[in-house]
Parts: sequence; C-alpha cells; structure tokens
Amino acid sequence: MSSFLKIALRNLLKGPSTDPYPFGETFVPKGLRGKIKYNAKACIACGMCEHVCAGGAIQIKETADKSGLEFIVWHNTCAFCGLCEHYCPTKAIRLTEDFHTAHSQEDKYRYVERGFIKYVTCARCATPMVPIAPELMTLAYGQVNKDIEKLRHLCPKCRQKQSLR
Amino acid sequence: MKKLLQKIVGKSPWLYRINAGSCNGCDVELATTACIPRFDVERLGCKYCGSPKHADIVLITGPLTVRVKDKVLRVYDEIPDPKVTVAIGICPISAGVFRDSYAIAGPIDSFIPVDVNVPGCPPRPQAIIDGILEAIKIWETRM
Repeated sequence: MSSFLKIALRNLLKGPSTDPYPFGETFVPKGLRGKIKYNAKACIACGMCEHVCAGGAIQIKETADKSGLEFIVWHNTCAFCGLCEHYCPTKAIRLTEDFHTAHSQEDKYRYVERGFIKYVTCARCATPMVPIAPELMTLAYGQVNKDIEKLRHLCPKCRQKQSLR
Repeated sequence: MKKLLQKIVGKSPWLYRINAGSCNGCDVELATTACIPRFDVERLGCKYCGSPKHADIVLITGPLTVRVKDKVLRVYDEIPDPKVTVAIGICPISAGVFRDSYAIAGPIDSFIPVDVNVPGCPPRPQAIIDGILEAIKIWETRM
C-alpha cells in the first residue's frame, strides 16, 4: 500500500508527460530526417540523387531557355529515406530537422524545394557548362593550388587538353 | 446560429481512419497520436470513432491498392456530409515509392476529394496533429 502511494505521489509531482505541441514547443530528436534542403552552389549536377531517389521525388532538368539546370524535390513523394544525402558527393543535399509538412490540397503541387544552377561559360571555348563547386575541387584534389584552380573555369574538353599538354 | 454551430462543432470533431492498403507505418503513427498520452490528440477535442457514420474528419493512409479500392470508396460514401479528408503519408498523396505499380489504383485524390495533405514516410505525430488542426479549421467553415 505504502509503495503504491509513493508511486502515485511521485507521478503527481512529476507533472504532465504530454508534449505541449501544438500549444507549445515540441522536442526534435537529434538526427530526425525531415524536409530536404538544397544548396545549388555546392551542386555539381551529377544526377546521383535523382538516380537513387526511392520515391522519384528529385528531378534535375535543363530549363526551357537553356540557361541552366533546375533542381526540384517534390516533398509529397519524398520518403525521407536520406539516400540522396548519403550519396551526394559534395553534400549539396541535406535533410533538415523540419517536420512541419501539413499543407492544404491547393498547395499539393507547389510543395517543392527548388534550386537553380546557372551555366557558366568555359574560359577558353565559351561553351556553357555546369559550374564546378569548390567542394568538388577539394574532394578531387585535396589541396587546391593555382594551376588546378585554372582548370575550374574550363569545360571538360578544354580541361582534358590542358591536362594532357 | 451558424456561428454558434461553428463554435461548438470545432471543439469535437470525430476522426475516422481508413486504411487504403497502407504498410501500417502511418497507422501506427495515427495510433500513437491518439493513444499515447505524450501526443494525445484528444486535447483538440478529437475522438476516434468506430463507425464511418459518426465520422467528421477522415484520415486516409495507404496508396489505394486495386484490391481495396472498391471497399474504400464504399466506406467513404457511408461517411455523412460535410466531411473533411486528410491524406496521411506520401502514399495516398502521390502513391510514393509504389507509384506506377500494377497493384496501385491511386493516388487517392483521383477518386476522393482530399482537403489536407500530410506527407512523410511516416509523418511525425506532431505533423499529424498539424494536419488535424488544419482539417478542423476547414471543418468549421463547412458547417
């Protein structure tokens, strides 16, 4: 009897265990996989995320005016599996801890994360190409010196010519 | 009269759950939202009911498989108007990872008018509560 009273009293003093959300703040466990955040500056348009995406949520395609590539994640078919983040070589895709996904039916097809990669022109032959992110340079070369930095502004063909010279 | 009704009705919408071929992930989250004191959806005045005839807000999970399609539509028709439909998880919204499968008739909004979407695989209980709150707002205007 006394042990029961002890537990009852302790529970009484503990206060409610209910999460105050939606009237107050809620907790977010560390490492929660939420909505995707995309950083166009670090993206190299390799298309790996599009390839591994389980729900087919990611799409990278050229814009109509051919000025660059458009990146789209449709949150309504993203399973938050995190494969895109895992396979992204430059970590341009990150899963945030944002879990607020409820939206009305009118916004169904507007519920996307967009990014735009503008083409740059090759310093030598002026063909449009995807800009090379500094993240990729450090990944490929480790230390980036001045000679390597010059390669960054060349298209793949000119880069080949330059390196084989 | 209408205003009074709206005020009263928003305080006690009854929830009804339809499983349209779900993997049970979202259903577990729905059960968590309702039954575990930590999330406790009954604070919002909501209550799960067993019969479609008592329902006000319908929560649909699952991508609407071909096998379950007729049953789901039949149960949905039993729910009296006005009603608010909430799609829980990416499956009913876009058929998710099962899209273009021969066994899937969905997405659900090609058969049933959906009002609120809560994507996630599965969504967190807090996200479901967000969706139910939005549904209650629509429910008040439908009165």
